[in-house]
Amino acid sequence: MDRFDIAIIGTGPAGLEAAITASIRNKKILLLGSKNLSDKVEKGHLIRNYLGLPDISGTDLSKRFNEHLDSFGIDITEDRITAVYSMGDYFSLQGSSGSFYESETVIIATGVMTGKVLDGESEYLGNGVSYCATCDAPLYRKKAVAVICYSKHEESEADFLSEIAGSVDFFPMFKEDSNVNDSVKVVSKHPVSIKRDNFKTIVTTSEGNTYSYDGVFVLRDSIAPSNLVPGLLTEGAHIVCDRNMKTNIDGCFACGDITGLPYQYIKSAGEGNIAALSACAYIDSKKRNSKQ
Amino acid sequence: MVNVVKNDDFSAAKKAAVAVVDFSATWCGPCRMTAPVLEKVSEKMAGRVEFYNVDVDDNGELANQFHITNIPCLVLLKNGVEVSRSVGFQPEPNLTSWIESNL
Repeated sequence: MDRFDIAIIGTGPAGLEAAITASIRNKKILLLGSKNLSDKVEKGHLIRNYLGLPDISGTDLSKRFNEHLDSFGIDITEDRITAVYSMGDYFSLQGSSGSFYESETVIIATGVMTGKVLDGESEYLGNGVSYCATCDAPLYRKKAVAVICYSKHEESEADFLSEIAGSVDFFPMFKEDSNVNDSVKVVSKHPVSIKRDNFKTIVTTSEGNTYSYDGVFVLRDSIAPSNLVPGLLTEGAHIVCDRNMKTNIDGCFACGDITGLPYQYIKSAGEGNIAALSACAYIDSKKRNSKQ
Repeated sequence: MVNVVKNDDFSAAKKAAVAVVDFSATWCGPCRMTAPVLEKVSEKMAGRVEFYNVDVDDNGELANQFHITNIPCLVLLKNGVEVSRSVGFQPEPNLTSWIESNL
């Protein structure tokens, strides 16, 4: 497998700046995210404090970001990363497409997760709760599962599950109409909590009704960082890192909203720059040490 | 070294003073990632802790007996009795400290 120098997760200002800085430093990068870059930038009305681009709209800023990427020939790989494994001297990244990627270092620039995790979601992750249908579906062959889906992009995962599981209930948590195949049952209720009881996963909705399954899949655009990177030190919704953007895991860096307040585009971009330079320094020192 | 359990034969793991049993499957991503980390830890703890791998597809009876619902699932046994379990991938330092804290 081709191993990258730096894998960057996220295509907001932090991730993009990290990608540009790493490209200038001639690193082999993998930029993971969306070709539409960032909803949060795209939806910004008027940004007044972005240096050199006064009074720019979110849409225009996004356009400028894209032009900047193009000028460096940077490609975006559209795959949702569901887990980052620290293997000791490299990282393995698992995509929801079923692909794996390997990289010497990782920069987490996923943005801060909006919306709360469900009660019990983190507690039972890996024990009746999963974030990746492609990865865990075979465990639920002929069994009853539910999909709690926060993103229209992810609804095809329910169709995929319906080919393997015995039954699939689908809880759409997004505004658009859902469009799943006939063997998937749409339940238009709002789950509020998940618990495990007697080897079943119980979903409770806002009305207080309960539904029992063998397993529940929770699909979101972004995943809480401690769940994304097993072993990563976090504080609330944020990743703990120092001013070099270094986390508690060697070779893993974070930047942007995910590191904490203030949530500002220019702060994110600045942190992306630091994270990339720190990743470069880490790679270079590793190379030096291996030569000695 | 990680010993591979075959035909639901768990007798060796049960006899060990301390055994870490990795319930996993070939199709499971985090399991495939756990295997090399566990191999490393097993070398470092050789003589103190025995390590076993149970493929849940080949050893369905054992997986049922241990109520395995998600994998990878690491079960720590002392003289054949379960004292702790850990579900999901863990980096080497975390895995080592989980085992050490249960010794």
